[in-house]
Amino acid sequence: MANADGSIVRLEGIHKWFGENHVLRGIDLALQQGDVQVVIGPSGGGKSTLLRCVNLLELPDKGHVWFDGDDITDVRTDLNEVRTHIGIVFQAFNLFPHMTALRNITLPLEKVLDLNSGEAEERAREQLARVKLGEKADAYPGSLSGGQQQRVAIARALAMRPRLMLFDEITSALDPELVGEVLQVMKDLAAEGMTMVVVTHEMGFAREVGTRMVFMDGGVIVEEGDPRESFANPRSERLQKFFAEIL
Amino acid sequence: MSADAADLVSPSDVTASAPDTRGSSSPYARSVFVAGALALSLVLAGTVAIQVIFAVSHTPDPHVCLANDIIPYQPAIEGVSPASGVQGWQGVCNIVLGLTSTAEQFVLILGIALGAVTGVIGVRSYRRVDTRRKRDHLITGAVFGGQAVNFGILLLIFVQSPQKFALQFMNFYQLRGHDGWALVNGIKFTLLLAFGGEIGGIVIGLILALLEISGRRSVRAPATVYINVFRGTPLLVQLSIIYFGVNLGLGLHLSSFTVATAVFALNMGAYSAEVFRAGIQSIERGQMEAARSVGMTYLQAMRYAVVPQAVRRVIPPLMNEFVILIKDTSLVIIIGLYLNQLDLFGAAQQGYSDTFSATFFVAAAIGYLIITLPMIWIVNRVERRLRSGLVGVTGGGA
Repeated sequence: MANADGSIVRLEGIHKWFGENHVLRGIDLALQQGDVQVVIGPSGGGKSTLLRCVNLLELPDKGHVWFDGDDITDVRTDLNEVRTHIGIVFQAFNLFPHMTALRNITLPLEKVLDLNSGEAEERAREQLARVKLGEKADAYPGSLSGGQQQRVAIARALAMRPRLMLFDEITSALDPELVGEVLQVMKDLAAEGMTMVVVTHEMGFAREVGTRMVFMDGGVIVEEGDPRESFANPRSERLQKFFAEIL
Repeated sequence: MSADAADLVSPSDVTASAPDTRGSSSPYARSVFVAGALALSLVLAGTVAIQVIFAVSHTPDPHVCLANDIIPYQPAIEGVSPASGVQGWQGVCNIVLGLTSTAEQFVLILGIALGAVTGVIGVRSYRRVDTRRKRDHLITGAVFGGQAVNFGILLLIFVQSPQKFALQFMNFYQLRGHDGWALVNGIKFTLLLAFGGEIGGIVIGLILALLEISGRRSVRAPATVYINVFRGTPLLVQLSIIYFGVNLGLGLHLSSFTVATAVFALNMGAYSAEVFRAGIQSIERGQMEAARSVGMTYLQAMRYAVVPQAVRRVIPPLMNEFVILIKDTSLVIIIGLYLNQLDLFGAAQQGYSDTFSATFFVAAAIGYLIITLPMIWIVNRVERRLRSGLVGVTGGGA
């Protein structure tokens, strides 16, 4: 079931304030099934806040989020139910450190989706194999490298079988040599047709894998379009300046 | 796996020590160290040894004891005279004779003199030596010497007239005379009160803490009021109000032991609530977010993700509260326990009113130390290990 306009998720006029700080100033965005929406821009531009507004970890102060035909910003929405369909992966991994990799994945399957432990474990091992960590099922997060932890976090999100995946600068906390393995998982996921919103500083990835791109600065979308097109010919002055600074 | 990752697996091994680079000592530095240690041993170990010798091999002469104001015990003679003198006079007399002996004077004066000399030599020369180990030996020797002088002078003043003090506080025979097991029983009931209060307090505290961290003021308010009332009033007053006011006033007639345990739990609940709240708030926000983002409810996220981690962090502060509670159980004396349920201090107080020997209070203090010292030791160890990262929040990984 899609939204009225055929999109899977649609943001309408999203505003967010943190105290005095007006972080999002009217964001509109719509994703079709299979889109890989990359979001780039300077730090403090509101990228992460925007992403967190999609699964309502941050509640927008104004505006609407439509997901699968429902306005999930309506107060009557069962957010816990909605969040089972939207996976998110964080910059800081946020694995539960007191549980094994396997338990990190099976816990929500059992407690939220009510799978029995056998089904949950089967599904969890499937996902661990998918991120190439099948042999690390019984390891605790503290004994895994950053890249491995992040792949477990991706597996945890994927095991819920979400319709939409959100990635919040998931390679920013990694050592450079570990970035590749995590990007590869995202590339595979994109190739399988997962609908994704990717906030990233990895410009190579954005250009190569993204199907659509927005450039955010100062709480607004400054420019949007096809990633390859935008990288080749940035229209706005601010995006040109941004590329000049980082590339 | 990267070097960083390897660091995560095994945090720097705190048990392995760095190579010893302090250099060698010299006979001179070493002898200052030995002299200091000897001076301190003369004062402390010498005093103890003299006491042991007097206690083991000495039957005190009643006349000498009498001369020291220690009146030997005379049992009552039917129809002739009532009992008189001090029960346990031999022990007290031996302690006094040991303290006032020439040998004691001798070891003290010798210890003080040796300590003073060592201290002066050590202090004057430690800057001029060329290795760190020599310096360590000289400084330690000087410190020992200084301690010998201090303790020696204090003891020397004390042994001039220890008779009254010994009679009051060191008549250990009296502990046996009253009821040999009264104090041991007291330890048992002190522990029962403390554990009862602690367990109840943890349950109450955890519930209060979860209310306290709510985003809604209406949920927080009752918990805040409860915590402030119980933290802002003396435990003595709480015991009195709840025992005399609630229990007797409402005609519940619960035993004072039951009421006391309940009050300790209520009080402990307020304090441990603050500990739990701090512990829960110390868990990174990302843990709650990660749990909520896979569809868990707030309570599920608390139960499975946040609280299990917080519990590990609050163990040391909670144990500190427990040590405080163990000592505070002595306040139960205000409402009075049954004689067969007396706590440690209650038993000591009972012993004192039976015999008028303050030795019972000394024994009670020792009893509390027997309970609390191991706990304090454990808290320090756990804290050190938590800080060193050897016991992180991971169950088995690290």
